[in-house]
Amino acid sequence: MIASAPSFDGPVVSVEGLTVRAKQQRLLDRVTLDFAGRTLTAVVGPSGCGKTTFVRTLNRMTELTPGLRVEGTVRYLGQNIYDRSVNPVVVRRRMGMVFQRPTVFPMSIWENAAFGLRLVHATEDEIDAAVTEALQRSGLWEEVRGDLDRPALSLSGGQQQRLCIARALAVRPRVLLLDEPTSALDPAATQRIEATLQRLKEEIVVILVTHNVAQAARISDRIAFLHSGRLIESGPTAEMLERPREALTAQFITGRI
Amino acid sequence: MSGALAVPRPVGLDDLTRDRTGHVVRRTWFDRAMRWLLPLLYLVAILPILDLVYWVARGALPSLSLATLTTNPSPGVGSGGGLYAPLVGSVAILAVATGVALALGFLGGLATAEYLDERSAGIVRVTANIMAGTPSIVLGLFGYIAFVTFFGWGPSLAAAGVTLGIFMTPYIFRAADLAYSSVPSHIREAAVGAGARPIQYLLRVASPIALPQVLSGVFLAMAIGVGETAPIYLTTTAVELPPLGLFAPASALPLYIWSGFETGLVLPSAIALAYEAAFLLLVIVVGLNILVRLIAARARRRLEGLFQ
Repeated sequence: MIASAPSFDGPVVSVEGLTVRAKQQRLLDRVTLDFAGRTLTAVVGPSGCGKTTFVRTLNRMTELTPGLRVEGTVRYLGQNIYDRSVNPVVVRRRMGMVFQRPTVFPMSIWENAAFGLRLVHATEDEIDAAVTEALQRSGLWEEVRGDLDRPALSLSGGQQQRLCIARALAVRPRVLLLDEPTSALDPAATQRIEATLQRLKEEIVVILVTHNVAQAARISDRIAFLHSGRLIESGPTAEMLERPREALTAQFITGRI
Repeated sequence: MSGALAVPRPVGLDDLTRDRTGHVVRRTWFDRAMRWLLPLLYLVAILPILDLVYWVARGALPSLSLATLTTNPSPGVGSGGGLYAPLVGSVAILAVATGVALALGFLGGLATAEYLDERSAGIVRVTANIMAGTPSIVLGLFGYIAFVTFFGWGPSLAAAGVTLGIFMTPYIFRAADLAYSSVPSHIREAAVGAGARPIQYLLRVASPIALPQVLSGVFLAMAIGVGETAPIYLTTTAVELPPLGLFAPASALPLYIWSGFETGLVLPSAIALAYEAAFLLLVIVVGLNILVRLIAARARRRLEGLFQ
């Protein structure tokens, strides 16, 4: 549905030497990693390893936290998103984000899905088409098509999270960032989200932060393992799980750290 | 003993009606006593309010009629007439005051919650608290010196309105600050993460969540302000006609309660007008409070589940 940029055939997102400093410590230390099209990459690691910080630097959400300093480059289709000429608002409109807890707004289901389009002043016709498409892609359409005017807060947690995915998808981003999107959900809701993500990775770059190795094993194509702010190793999922090169990786995937 | 319970000896006995020393444990008498005591205390608490309403209504209702609302007081307190001028005056003063308090309080609260760093926000909050704690007669005196004499407005609608507006500002400030501060941070992150500019976050996400609470605060501030006497006592005068303009004197209901009782000490017929004014004020205050409850209930329904 959404092809990668015709004029660009490098990785969609390319991270180089990314360091994030807080006052006392380095949250990320020289992380270099590429994200190619049509791939679901799981960013895994123990609590506090910097995986949430990492995904938040990819669309400049780190700027909401005072006192963080970002060095290095994050390239989106070759352009450094930290360049002075780049407005972070535009970056965030190109790379959708889904959070740990469902974050629906107190509006109707329809208005939630249309939120990003209203921000860019899309026409009603554009919104009509894009909202329907986004709800279908997020796998929520069949459940809500009859009552799109219902308050979004009346949906179940899993449905709310898929609505958040739809909200992110409605502006047709090439990249979807998810920060532990299923950790607040029950197994059935988790399974539906995983199915949705597996469909989505055929169209766009999906970057999934998770502490759950089993989830990474189930749905990711590649795994990147972070520990203490450093990228320990990354590679195809099967390889990472069966033949990790680093001892730390082996310890993590077997549940010892 | 039974082998199935081969755990270390528990701290309590196995008998659930006794404590560890073997005394019978009965706490239910306390529970029962409280069930009776609390409603009783509640009655004690609301009794003064009911008493107040009763006496005000008893004093006002015999002489209250539609004419009270539509005729001006006769010149000379105690010689009859209605409360048209003070009613219109009170509403006009409250309108000016609410405008002033909204401009200062709402914008101040919004800026404090959304844009100031923690340090500056703290300073502004402390200032607002000091303002709220200032005795209202001091504020009245300030209004008299600043607006009536220094600016030369004289005792007027403007002077009383602005002074009362300053009195109401901290209430609205607090409501706005609290309302915008309590928008959950994950909602803010989601809006920014979806590419909302700060102003879009404010208008499309934060305000629909915060405004009902702000509005409740505004109506509460109005309910408090409409009955305040001190800020307007020195800044306007009781006249028998509705205000002719912003810089003309405006009468007000609290002034008629004040002067009605004062005159009533020597001229009993004046007290009726004071009771009527008090009754009207009560009706306005209760009405504003009902409005606040309605707004809050509506907002609660709409925002259910948001603050979990």
